[in-house]
Amino acid sequence: MDIKEIREILKLLERHGVQDFTLQRGDNKIRVRKNGFVEERTQVRFREVPVAETQPPAVQTAAAGSGAPTPALAADQLPVGENQFLVTSPIVGTFYRAPSPESPPYVEVGSTVNKGKVLCIVEAMKIMNEIECEVTGKISAILVENAQPVEYSQPLFIVDLV
Amino acid sequence: MNVLKLFSKILVANRGEIALRVIRACRELGIRTVAIFSEADRDALHTRFADEGICIGPANPLQSYLNIPAIISAAEVSDCEAIHPGYGFLAENPEFAEVCEASGIVFIGPRSEHIKLMGNKIQARNLAVRAGVPIPPGGVEGVSDPELALQGARQLGFPVIIKAAAGGGGRGIRVVHSEASFRTSFSMAQSEASSSFNNPEVYVEKFIESPRHVEIQILADNDGKIVYLGERDCSIQRRYQKLLEEAPSPAVGGELRERMGEAAANLTREAGYVNAGTVEFLLDKEGNFYFMEMNTRIQVEHPVTEMVTGIDLVKEQIRISAGHPLGFGQDDIRIQGHAIECRINAEDPDNHRPSPGTISFYYAPGGPGIRVDSAAFESYYITPHYDSMIAKLVAHGRDREEALARMQRALEEFVIEGVKTTIPLHQRILSTMKFRKGEYGTDFLEGLNK
Repeated sequence: MDIKEIREILKLLERHGVQDFTLQRGDNKIRVRKNGFVEERTQVRFREVPVAETQPPAVQTAAAGSGAPTPALAADQLPVGENQFLVTSPIVGTFYRAPSPESPPYVEVGSTVNKGKVLCIVEAMKIMNEIECEVTGKISAILVENAQPVEYSQPLFIVDLV
Repeated sequence: MNVLKLFSKILVANRGEIALRVIRACRELGIRTVAIFSEADRDALHTRFADEGICIGPANPLQSYLNIPAIISAAEVSDCEAIHPGYGFLAENPEFAEVCEASGIVFIGPRSEHIKLMGNKIQARNLAVRAGVPIPPGGVEGVSDPELALQGARQLGFPVIIKAAAGGGGRGIRVVHSEASFRTSFSMAQSEASSSFNNPEVYVEKFIESPRHVEIQILADNDGKIVYLGERDCSIQRRYQKLLEEAPSPAVGGELRERMGEAAANLTREAGYVNAGTVEFLLDKEGNFYFMEMNTRIQVEHPVTEMVTGIDLVKEQIRISAGHPLGFGQDDIRIQGHAIECRINAEDPDNHRPSPGTISFYYAPGGPGIRVDSAAFESYYITPHYDSMIAKLVAHGRDREEALARMQRALEEFVIEGVKTTIPLHQRILSTMKFRKGEYGTDFLEGLNK
């Protein structure tokens, strides 16, 4: 059972308003429980992250074993392949894809990028910080919307290495 | 008349139990909260209990909880109107308060100028003199020349104490018992002050032997109304770090409380200070008290005052910062019963060093009169990056005897496995005759270890 599958399950449960759900498949067991408090919190989270990756609803997977709390979305949880590179935000701020509202975006999916190429701007305290690419490759995914707030280490782009 | 509004969203610029304390106050006031957290605190309770959470940097506090641009940026992207700094980290950093003011974000605490003023111990002593508040005999100005300092020390008579002007947390302090060791101690205090506070300025004052550390809690609103909420006795310390506090002080009666309270209020008035603050005094055996310093933050030990006055100090801080007048006067303050706080730290009892590690089992005490302020839970990892406090255990009773009995009972109930803690030390303190009789000074723990 991987994170993708869990996400699908949670989406389904959400859609049908299921309060308590247990699924066992071989050694893997997942239990999902919901309550009012939890529901309210997921709506006001800072980041729009898939339900599976926030703390609540409490997800307990027997496979994970340790009983440790499920960590929030982190760079290492994204499906990044061996030939891919994840660009994360070095600072807290607001993400902009272009130098000004009139300008075209720095990059699009499919754009070829090289080391030093500006990918986006993260504005913090009125200062525009240009985020440069550290590798050479091709943009395979843009993970945040223009003008969206981003936090430290939040994944921004996936680059296919060439 | 204008209807005064509170903030709709506050950023909590701290971690651990104090971040939870602020989040709890906000929840009760109907204010939404934004937690900031470092990568080491992704699973921490403050991250989970706040309405929103923003990762602002790596575990190293210099790049996260002390990172002013990151915190201000987090407040801006999350639309916070105010920031509560808690204690420690940036709580008494005047630059941080200044940046908040300049960014149009309310800093929940005093104005930056007052943080700066109280942060310089020499300026604060001069303020006390102007307010007619007694200070320990000694120089009201800094000295850099050891010979000049020695002359001053001779006039005061040994023992004397050398302190850093920018001091705090017990650093840059040297007690000197005789002339022979003065020069060495003086230069050591200077270099410690220089390395700890980036300011080598020190001053010399008369050392008061075996004093009590008694502090007065103040609340001051924007209309100039000042109320004192009684005292806390924080004499149980080790290397100037408080371990156990109680309110009221076993050494302070009604008349002395009033005099100390008035002195603290006068100092606050003289400074034009607004918000919560604590005026620290040394109290000698004859009942003379001397101004030490004013802390411009909410203090770790604030719960004992809350327990005996019934006033929520964090909520009052928020209300004052939103421009509300105090809803009560001095005559409304009643000290009811007795409260004791034990700081439960992750600490090796042999060498008193922090003992980081994972809490493998955790059970917090409860029952009548017990309050536990903690951000710990089972499987919680106490990282070496931050301070080692696991919990503040507070017991309240009708009188000191009942509070003591409750505290002893609660210390027995408290189970923390996986790390060593100060629980056995507190049990030992509470079982001594000296403590039970309330006859102790700041040198109590030194005597206990002998």
